[in-house]
Amino acid sequence: MVTELMPAAAFPLQSGLVPRGTRAFVFERIFEVFLLLGTLVGVVVVGYMLYNAYRYRSGSGKGHVDEGNRLVLGELPSGSGGGRKLFTSFFMSMVIVVSLVSWTYLTLLYVEEGPADDESLDVEVEGYQFGWRFTYPNGHTTDGVLRVPADRPVQLTITTADVFHNFGITALRVKSDAIPGQETETWFTADEPGTYTARCYELCGVGHSYMSAEVIVMPPDEYEAWYANTTADNATANGSSADASVAASSAVAQSVAPQPSLRPAVVP
Amino acid sequence: MTDASPERDAAADGGHEVARGGDDHGHDFPGRGSIKRWFVTTNHKDVGILYVVTSLFFLVLGGVLAWLMRVQLLAPRALGEGILSPVAYNQTVSAHGLLMVFWFLSPFAFGFANYVVPLQLGAKDLAFPRLNALSYWLYLFSGILFGVSFFQGGTFSGGWTMYAPLNVPTFTPDVGASTAVLALVLFVASVTVSSVNFLTTMHRMRAEGLTLRNLPLFSWTILLTVWMMLFAFAALLAALLVLSSDRLLGTTYFAMESPAGALLWTHLFWFFGHPEVYIVFFPALGVMAEVFQTFTGRRIVGRKWFILAMVLVAIQSFAVWMHHMFLTSINLQVKTLFMITTIGISLPFDLMVFALIYTMLKGKIRFTTPFLFVFGALLLFIIGGITGVFLGAVVLDYEFRGTYWVVAHFHYVMVGGVTALVGGLYYWFPKMTGRMYDEFLGKLHFAVYFVGFNLLYFPLFVAWETPRRVFDYAPELAPWHQLATVGGFVLGLSFLIMFYNLFKSAFVGDPAPDNPWEHATTAEWAVSSPPPLENFDGTPTYRNGHLEFLDIGEVAQSEDRSGGPTGAAVSDGGVAASATTTVATALSTAEATEVEGPSHASIWPFVLSAGAFLVLLGLSSLQDAAFPEGMVGAAYATTAVAGGVVTLGSLVAMGLEPFHGPVFEEGEAWPFAGIDNGKVGMWIFLASDVVLFGGFIGAYVFTRVAFGWTGWEPIPPDPIPGLVNTYILLTSSFTVVLALVAAEKRHKWGVVTCLGATFVLGIGFLINKGLEWQHLFHEGLWLSTNVRASTFFLTTGLHAAHVIAGLLVALYLTARAWRGAYLEDSRSVEYFGLYWHFVDIVWLFLFPLFYIL
Repeated sequence: MVTELMPAAAFPLQSGLVPRGTRAFVFERIFEVFLLLGTLVGVVVVGYMLYNAYRYRSGSGKGHVDEGNRLVLGELPSGSGGGRKLFTSFFMSMVIVVSLVSWTYLTLLYVEEGPADDESLDVEVEGYQFGWRFTYPNGHTTDGVLRVPADRPVQLTITTADVFHNFGITALRVKSDAIPGQETETWFTADEPGTYTARCYELCGVGHSYMSAEVIVMPPDEYEAWYANTTADNATANGSSADASVAASSAVAQSVAPQPSLRPAVVP
Repeated sequence: MTDASPERDAAADGGHEVARGGDDHGHDFPGRGSIKRWFVTTNHKDVGILYVVTSLFFLVLGGVLAWLMRVQLLAPRALGEGILSPVAYNQTVSAHGLLMVFWFLSPFAFGFANYVVPLQLGAKDLAFPRLNALSYWLYLFSGILFGVSFFQGGTFSGGWTMYAPLNVPTFTPDVGASTAVLALVLFVASVTVSSVNFLTTMHRMRAEGLTLRNLPLFSWTILLTVWMMLFAFAALLAALLVLSSDRLLGTTYFAMESPAGALLWTHLFWFFGHPEVYIVFFPALGVMAEVFQTFTGRRIVGRKWFILAMVLVAIQSFAVWMHHMFLTSINLQVKTLFMITTIGISLPFDLMVFALIYTMLKGKIRFTTPFLFVFGALLLFIIGGITGVFLGAVVLDYEFRGTYWVVAHFHYVMVGGVTALVGGLYYWFPKMTGRMYDEFLGKLHFAVYFVGFNLLYFPLFVAWETPRRVFDYAPELAPWHQLATVGGFVLGLSFLIMFYNLFKSAFVGDPAPDNPWEHATTAEWAVSSPPPLENFDGTPTYRNGHLEFLDIGEVAQSEDRSGGPTGAAVSDGGVAASATTTVATALSTAEATEVEGPSHASIWPFVLSAGAFLVLLGLSSLQDAAFPEGMVGAAYATTAVAGGVVTLGSLVAMGLEPFHGPVFEEGEAWPFAGIDNGKVGMWIFLASDVVLFGGFIGAYVFTRVAFGWTGWEPIPPDPIPGLVNTYILLTSSFTVVLALVAAEKRHKWGVVTCLGATFVLGIGFLINKGLEWQHLFHEGLWLSTNVRASTFFLTTGLHAAHVIAGLLVALYLTARAWRGAYLEDSRSVEYFGLYWHFVDIVWLFLFPLFYIL
């Protein structure tokens, strides 16, 4: 359970083993460790490979093909032993991989838990071909721009009006699929005011490359001022975007439905 | 879908001869220089060469598409900029993926599998040579069909992953998109035929002493690959048939409004998709193992653990698919489970990587071209594998989803696999052509290739935040994309070196000896380069612990090892399989004794594949179960009908053709010792059909659970017609059994009556079903009315299609029985019976699911 938020870059070292804080902070911590270990393992293994390839090259005189145990054409295959070394390496790599992933599992639990409901701002996100629509708790709906306060968790409930999309704000390290007929949930906290970009991360048609939205992170008081001036649209106070999505999906469906008069082009 | 009813004749001539080198074999089988030879050949070596050459053509096609993408990605493109419009870009991306994964990677590997595996096993050919040729021609025609799709408004543009509901006509209305899906269906038919063939061969036709444990590692990887293929592609076929039905017939499984339609697709597709990546990688792994051993002069370290690790991966590969779905709405427990299985599957790979590395120690490594490529492949695979662990950590995957981290990762591992296969091409080139390639050009190719590869794919890790399938990205990432584009062109152009080298060397290279590679141990190197038509002089055996060749007389004296046939060699008559129906073939024994030996040629696989191509091309224009109006629609409909006639005709012709498969003495045959090839083939085919129906039933159950199980009313208002049909089918199974008993008692009219009764009962089933459906249509119900109707009509319709196919076979068998067939050799009836019982058993599941629950 998140009891306090850690400022993002302030503490490179955690008091606990599991990184806690904004999604960006959590991701960077884990990514750094993986990069470090991954590069280390890669360098060691590849280096070992290259070293031995050089050392036992045919001209070096170091290796030998056992006279008593030469490879013979037509022999029944067998291994050449060396099981112990193999098991040691295998065991070590298993330990590294399993402990690394177990560590990230604890972080997964933290991320899945999410922030406390009473603190967070709930926003509904609806993707459509080819943009994003946001609905705030008071029912206000915007298209293409998401405004959120800094330093406060935002819980997103994401769906789509038509095809499979994916909503992601890469700078804030948050992402989730937008699936027809379903809702997915995720959360993020932005600690630096500024403007970020949300994009679509699942191929959804011709406009996929340009299906983006602005995410404007505002200082909390400015956000409150802006929010106070918004009113609910024709959506219900519940923030249910059902009406909006019905309207949108029928509009979308009309725009992409096949026209009955279309003939397939055939090369004779 | 495919149905196969393998047939065979008992050749009473007891394996009287074997090829003694030379090409012609005393038949009028054309030489390798003639065009006709390549259209009619059923020899595994020829088919292997056809696969390799054709797949390289698709590599070039997919590669050019990649070049187009890379040019587009040189800079972030605003709308209207770049060489490709958004429509064209999406098609390019999708076609690149589909062509490379399906039409290049596996066929390239299977070119080698076709050529080398029978040699390694000690077999003279695959179990069903005409099926082998058929699987090649189906592959080629499926690729041609995919090419045609570009010209029908545009090919599929929803990514190679074809997510729903983007994949239905509401969102991708082009006819070409349907054609692309049908091309894939035809491809799956090719793969299924191939898997049945390889599995039967690899289990049944190994030389004496060559137990599975002693199998060379390349053959091991192919064995595991075909097991995975059998089941994974059946699941894909289910997904593709449902998608084809949604696109052509108007069913609504994947429609936007259907409950959980999008998730249904992701489950079906990824259940196939994950094993698929191991299917493409395993042959490369096998090449790596062989080439490491040969060029280090050391036996592989920890061989039995290596094999165990591979078997574990093959099995586990079916239990990791949801790691492609971590950001969908699946719950935490399921995500955790799949995180564990995903990390679990990386561990056997660790062991195999270490085994290969340790094989180098204390060896004498020769850096020939094959070894350079395979060594490079291992290096690239290590990098790719490490980045895969990143993706297995769910919290990281949350951010990597849909980005170039995934793209860079899978290109490292998959094109790493290609690297090993290219090594295999150089390795086996001398064997296949009888000439050595130019070693300097080979090394030059490797150098340019390796530089190009890393220049292309490594920057994609650095620029990982770029979203996939997008050409407008953050400008600061542009330098990395530009590097990648340069690398892409270097990598692609390096292949020119290879094409020049191999093409030139095939004509003027130095003649290659039987074994140009010191320390190579597997059986393909014990015969000439290229090998004689029937591979071996004498019968290979390992009974004394090493490869020897026995003359026929010595073989005939060997003890009866498993109760199976001894001395009398068993040969295969033709086997028929098609996308639409089955025909059983049989020749009376009297005819068999007049024929001289194994056959090597048949035109019918080619003609059958052409027919299948025409059928699917014609059907591609269907929308809501109707052809378009006017001349265009008429042209399509005519094409489909013409194709159907050609297909049916060639099946009958294939059935009647006198064709004898390879003569062999049963050696090691675990676990199918003593069971003939045809029966094993039929069982294996039915196993894949089980998975096909499993996919359909699973789709129904999944959709119904998402809808609300109890709120879903069964479509048929009354279960009585279904119950009647159940009784009809059960009775017809009984009559088939009676027919077999009559055949074994040589009671001709018993056979005719019982087979005829089966046919009549089957017709009764169809009439009853027809009346039932007629009633439902009359009530205003149609396939597209709602998802309940869609699932009912399509699933029971698939079953009905199986019944129709069976009835065509039954008709054929009845006609032949009338003429006195099957009294000496009743195997056709037996195999038909197996198929028919399967069809009945499926109905016993469908009836309660769709009528009662």
